[in-house]
Amino acid sequence: MRVSLFITCYNDTLFPETGRAVVKLLERLGVELEFHPRQTCCGQMHANTGFRAEAFSQAKRFVRLYQDTETVVIPSSSCVAMIRDQYPGLFAELGNEELRKQFAALLPRVFELSEFLVDRLKVKDVGAYFPHRVTYHASCHGVRALHLGDRPWKLMNKVRGMEQVPLANLDRCCGFGGTFSVKNAEVSSAMLAVKLQDIVATGAEFCTALDNSCLMHLGGAMHRQYAGMKTIHLAEILASTETSPAEGVA
Amino acid sequence: MSAPSKSRENILERVRAATKTVALPPAELAAACASIPRDYIRRGGMTVTACQERFIERLREYDAEVVETTEEELPATIAAQLAGSGKHTFVAPAGLPAAWQAEGFEWKLDGGLSAAEIEKAEGVVTAAFCGVADSGTIVLHHSATEGRRVITLLPDWHLCVVYASQVVETLPEYFDRCGQTPGLATYISGPSATADIEMTRIKGVHGPRFLHVVLVRDSGQ
Amino acid sequence: MSQGVYHPVLDPAKARPFPEAVLPVLRNPQLRKNVAHAIDVIQAKRGKLVVEKTDWQALRTAGAAIRTHALENLGAYLTQFEERCTAAGGVVHWAADAAEARQIILNLLREENASEVIKIKTMTSAEIQLNPFLEAAGVRTYETDLAEIILQLGEDEPSHIVVPALHVNRAQVREIFARRMGLKDLSDDPRELTNAARNYLRRKFLDIPTAISGANFLVAETGSVVVVESEGNGRMCLTLPRTMITLAGIEKVLPRFQDLEVMLQVLARSATGERMNPYTSIWTGVTPGDGPQKFHVVLLDNGRSSILAKKTERQTLKCIRCAACMNACPVYRQTGGHAYGSVYPGPIGAILTPQLMQMHHAQTLPFASSLCGACYEVCPVKINIPEVLLELRSQVVNQERREAGRLFDPMYLGLRIANLIFSRAWIFHTAQFLGRIGLGVFTRKDGWIHSLPSVGGKWTQTRDLRGLPKQTFHGWWAARAAKPSGEAK
Repeated sequence: MRVSLFITCYNDTLFPETGRAVVKLLERLGVELEFHPRQTCCGQMHANTGFRAEAFSQAKRFVRLYQDTETVVIPSSSCVAMIRDQYPGLFAELGNEELRKQFAALLPRVFELSEFLVDRLKVKDVGAYFPHRVTYHASCHGVRALHLGDRPWKLMNKVRGMEQVPLANLDRCCGFGGTFSVKNAEVSSAMLAVKLQDIVATGAEFCTALDNSCLMHLGGAMHRQYAGMKTIHLAEILASTETSPAEGVA
Repeated sequence: MSAPSKSRENILERVRAATKTVALPPAELAAACASIPRDYIRRGGMTVTACQERFIERLREYDAEVVETTEEELPATIAAQLAGSGKHTFVAPAGLPAAWQAEGFEWKLDGGLSAAEIEKAEGVVTAAFCGVADSGTIVLHHSATEGRRVITLLPDWHLCVVYASQVVETLPEYFDRCGQTPGLATYISGPSATADIEMTRIKGVHGPRFLHVVLVRDSGQ
Repeated sequence: MSQGVYHPVLDPAKARPFPEAVLPVLRNPQLRKNVAHAIDVIQAKRGKLVVEKTDWQALRTAGAAIRTHALENLGAYLTQFEERCTAAGGVVHWAADAAEARQIILNLLREENASEVIKIKTMTSAEIQLNPFLEAAGVRTYETDLAEIILQLGEDEPSHIVVPALHVNRAQVREIFARRMGLKDLSDDPRELTNAARNYLRRKFLDIPTAISGANFLVAETGSVVVVESEGNGRMCLTLPRTMITLAGIEKVLPRFQDLEVMLQVLARSATGERMNPYTSIWTGVTPGDGPQKFHVVLLDNGRSSILAKKTERQTLKCIRCAACMNACPVYRQTGGHAYGSVYPGPIGAILTPQLMQMHHAQTLPFASSLCGACYEVCPVKINIPEVLLELRSQVVNQERREAGRLFDPMYLGLRIANLIFSRAWIFHTAQFLGRIGLGVFTRKDGWIHSLPSVGGKWTQTRDLRGLPKQTFHGWWAARAAKPSGEAK
């Protein structure tokens, strides 16, 4: 199966280790991966901040870039949600017939990582080994936009050596919200404080999720507070094995 | 009344302009409304017995007292309830069956009683239009046997006679029973309550604090 | 609140921007605790009932369809309501805006020589700022809803549309009642406080012959008005006075009486976590011998017809004022309602308030959300609040970007630059390189950034940021592909 990886602008820049883990994981599962070198951003930040024209120009670029691709995998539920939920409106309002057709053809071929693993590869046991206590934060876009349901658990339950600790209020928003985290930094921090209480209370070593956006926000606070916990993207857990453990994890 | 303003015309004009592309022609309106998909539960699946038991259960959750009786025993049951209340003066709707107006109590028949007069009474006895088991709701349509709205509002104690055949399971079933839409209706689901202070539920703010329901096992639905 | 420490301003034209307005609130542990507690109670109850109601999603679908149909055909249904209500003895008035509504109501009160009026809680009357207007004109207004009494006597403002005083705790209520009702020995037991309110109101219900209400629903088919309540003060106001004035937004219309079977099932479960609220009153015009013999309905536009005209925004008007959205909102949980500067707070307030203001005010409200979608998930009539928030954000930006001052606003500048950066891969890669160097200045030995200037400083107020890795993902991929051995393409 030929699959093209859309790494996302922020993963490319800030969390390349997540990308490396996705590559390691998918190649281990026999997927032939491609990476389009000209990819940049899906436009979510601009769309969510009210800059629709700018968001549209990025959306157009994304659709053109991937129009001939068989399958696109994206390790970020918020970016997939942008493509599924907001691209239709953007193309309806600002695009033309041709673009709308291209987008409509592309849309069913775009997958978030856990969707790709469970629905397309039909795999739950990815051969992972991660001997740590982990709690899972259910990112808002994953829960409410993509309706990922129990896909993450299907995958996590097969990770050997991992002890899962349930997180109270696991689907309550962490407070990141993109530019909300700086435009309403104080409220974002209040939401973060409350979320962190629940996370730290689990006694886990790691908090994982399917979105590095949430994890950057949570992890940034954990680091600031010497909270004794770290964040790690679920892809890195799934990629981890006995002989090749996750990067940066003892 | 004051001189008619242009606002009615202006507002309707704006509304019509706003919905120009979506509003239906009058001839199609009723049909469109009727064809709105209603996939929620309209008829309940409980047996008649289970339904009545649910009704009683919900009423008791509201701290209402519920007693069951038969049609023959009804007047006696009412009398016993009144006696047990420790109260003496009751309001009765204009059409309350005479048999229900037990002996030994003072009855104020409502033919337009003033609020002050009603306040002198300690309780009220009425019939009802319907009972909804799912939510423990008593429906009053304020007919002659149910009385004007004020008489079930001012007294502190309300005895309501509900026939088993009047009890339905779901709220949509009540609406199906309406036939003619009521001009006046009051749906009572428990005594009044407030949770405005720290979400602490306090029962009995305004309106009767004590509700007694007599459920009459009549010949069925 | 009552002691002059913090007087919220619920006039969107005068309120502070949301990011500023939240600051004193976020530092108020009492208020945050009160709000979280109230929300938790309602949410727990609601949660159980939603699970129990196996047709909950079907009810939401029907509720959304009914409300959409009503709005799309609002002209026809409003005239039908007017016709039926009038035929039943009611008098229907039309108010284009808040000022006209206030004047109509005052005129009606003057016709009755009313110097006092009792009120059932209605957010619509707060929206038009009715009470101060009437008071200034010499009419004393008496709120009769317990929460509204607490707020009225405490000179406070509502912070939630269903439980308006949820930000006030029992000690604060005790203080207000003791002071304003002259009850020195009052304890802070909620039962005692409620009894105090009950006694305070009893004579008012019986003696004041004029009442003002809102409406939860207006039924077009029958010309009826529906009021949903818990305490019984509504029934008192609807039954005892001689004259009844009902103020209702034009969007409150339901096509048919039967539509209540959906609305009532979802409203109570959403608003208070009950299968049904204690009292629902329905009346049609005037009934001889029963209740007020003079009945007026004031239909209020006040910006609703503008909202109606807009395709994406129209759904805002589906709202049945259940407050499920604010109960579910993680932002509201931390800030309470006052920070929104409007009688309509929370998610619905974030979209309704700026629109009622024709987008001239409250422009920070559409941004007062992390777009988590919890509100949409619980809305009984499926208002896609995030979708409307995004649309309004775009409108605010389009307004603002034309302002000269925005040219060097770090946010606007940053986003325009970012767009340029994302337009070409080579610019993106160059920016990543330069960014790594630039941020390297702020990166500490442990590889983390602890403090940044300008907009970045808003991040580093409370969070560290890991320094940019030396190699981007695409750089790693390219290097891997270039290796002679290995999985090169």
